[in-house]
Amino acid sequence: MIQLTEETRSGWRVVSVSGRADAEAADALEAALRSAVEANGRVAADFATLDYISSAGLRAVLQAARAAQTRGSEFAVCGLSAPVRKVFDMSGLHHVLRIHGELPC
Amino acid sequence: MLLDGKLSELPRLTAETARFCRRYSLGEEVELQLNLVLEELFANAIRHGGCEGVRDAARVQLEMLPDGVAIEFADRGAPFDATAAPAPKLDAPLETRPIGGLGIHLVRQIVRDLRYQRVDGWNRLTMRRPSREKEGES
Repeated sequence: MIQLTEETRSGWRVVSVSGRADAEAADALEAALRSAVEANGRVAADFATLDYISSAGLRAVLQAARAAQTRGSEFAVCGLSAPVRKVFDMSGLHHVLRIHGELPC
Repeated sequence: MLLDGKLSELPRLTAETARFCRRYSLGEEVELQLNLVLEELFANAIRHGGCEGVRDAARVQLEMLPDGVAIEFADRGAPFDATAAPAPKLDAPLETRPIGGLGIHLVRQIVRDLRYQRVDGWNRLTMRRPSREKEGES
């Protein structure tokens, strides 16, 4: 189960992602992030309440980051818990994504 | 436990992993990593192994060891040796980074002693998620 909510915070369109970014939820996550990237110049994925991510969730984030790059938008990931952060680190995606500890989340 | 070949089985797999971790007082990081390994293997069997829609397509077994958790994952999919899959290019830039191969890469990061056998029409993988004392895990 994944819950997605959106709001604007200090100039960033923030997509808050709660629950589990697994293979079942990946399409919904990718669609939400991509549509935010299409409509906004600065987008952040707030993972502060994300409990779990697998490669399917990581792929969704990577696709959104690519869409942002194509469009010339800023895209950042923030608020990662320690266990979720570790999955990003293992994937090597932290080398290609902007990951913030706090701001803009 | 046995799983049908559909992603809607994931919540049942998650619940089973959580029960195992509660039984042995394993922390949230162990639980996340066990769940991740099992999801990646199961999702690969469905997407690439031809297990989509197959009843009792996969079998999962967890066992507590003195030095970690023994994981056995078996599926009825096409023969696939996960121990021989090529490693993804992790340092490639965003534009050229390949999308595939990440799941197996994560599995290899987490587990040790990954072994593959093809037995009676099943792909059978055994592995161990080692316990790490520095994190206070049992």
